[in-house]
Parts: sequence; structure tokens; C-alpha cells
Amino acid sequence: MLIQILGIIVLLMALRTLFAQDRSERMLYLNAMSFGIAGLMALYIQTPFGAIIAITYFIASTISSNAIAYSIGRVKNEIILDE
Amino acid sequence: MNEIIAIIIAAVLSWINFVLIDTWMGLPEQPGVKGAEVIGRSVKRRGGDLAGGFFQGNIVCSPDASAGTLLASAACYTIGTPEGGLIAAILVYFGNRLCADPGYAGTTGALSITCIIFAASYIGIGPADFIVGMVLAIVTIQGLYHPFSSRLLGKIAKKMGRHTKLP
Repeated sequence: MLIQILGIIVLLMALRTLFAQDRSERMLYLNAMSFGIAGLMALYIQTPFGAIIAITYFIASTISSNAIAYSIGRVKNEIILDE
Repeated sequence: MNEIIAIIIAAVLSWINFVLIDTWMGLPEQPGVKGAEVIGRSVKRRGGDLAGGFFQGNIVCSPDASAGTLLASAACYTIGTPEGGLIAAILVYFGNRLCADPGYAGTTGALSITCIIFAASYIGIGPADFIVGMVLAIVTIQGLYHPFSSRLLGKIAKKMGRHTKLP
């Protein structure tokens, strides 16, 4: 049952990411989705290495989200400068 | 204990754990890394609170107490209750340094939720309930309605004297 709950949350957050308008808003839904996927990994694999996998995945997704959010900010600044 | 009640209690405990620790460690005060500022300003533009927005941006862009809570719960579930939490705290510490974040919010969150999980095991709530509870808690902050949740986080920040002084 726990895996089903997490699966529904991941699905809902993925849909919200798809249909959100603002790019920064999408980052927040993606972050919630990453929490769910990391939880799914730990619950499904159920061995100590599963926790290592979940932790590695989550930290990697945090680093990428930081890079994406930074790039979103830089792209906005460049558009304003061009005008 | 009934599974649903266990998950709800675990969600409330996780929510309190990461919100209090993150607010106390200054996440609403300023963006820890550049990406967090972008997200914070975007939340403010959509009608939210800037301090709450910085909080949400810091959650996205670096491992904070919410990450520490989730990963410590996952480690306690698969490895065992005190050992898993300590291993998760070490790995979250490395993750903080990798993200160029000088803080200790992730490590603190991981250690404190390990203590809470240990205590909760005596009333029948297991680490797996904390995994699902933490995901539910983060969905209430990041996945529902950002202006409202950021205003709530801003109020808590103001009460704890950690509201941002940036314009």
C-alpha cells in the first residue's frame, strides 16, 4: 500500500509539472516528484544498497535542479538585456 | 496501529521536524545558492511570501532538513534504526558540500528524525511510514498551492525571527 501511495503522488506531481505554466513553478513540482521517486526506490529495493541508490539519486536530482533553476534565472536576464 | 493513522502521524512529525529545523537554520532568510533566489522571486511574483519562497527554493536547490528527513527514513527502513540514520547523515553532509551549500540543515534533520523514528517505533510507527509521511509533508509545501504554503512558511519564519530582510 505504501508503494501505491507514493506512485499516485509521483504521477500527480508529474502531471502538474507538465501542465504548469511558469518554469520556476515546474521546478517545485519536480522536486516533490523526486522525493516520491527516492522513497519508491527505498521501499521497492528494500536492501541497504537500495537506500544508497535512493540517496545518490536524490542528491543528483538536487544538483541538477539547482543548475536548472540557475539557468532559468540567467535566461530571463539575457532576454531583458536584449530588449 | 492502523496504517493510515501511522502515516498521518509520521507526516505530521516529519513536517514539524523539517520546517522547524530549516527555519531555525535560516533557510527563509536568504537563498543559499543562486537557483533558490530564482524560485523565491517567482513565488513572490505569483502572490506568495518572499521568505517562504526562499525556503521552497532552498529545498529544491540543496539538501536541507527535508532531504535529511526523507533519506534518514529510507536508510532506517533498509539498514536499521540508529545505523541507517547516521549513514544517511554522513551522505547528506557530502551532498551539502557537493551543492556548495555551507549549511548543516540536512545533517541536523537526518539526525533528529532518526531520534524521532527510534521513539516512534515504540508506539508502532515504522520507518516505512516515515518515508511516505515525509513525501506527503513535502507535497503540502511544494506540490499544492505555492502562494498559500509560502505565506504559511513566512509566518512561521517571522515568529521565529528568521524572516528575510531582502527586498
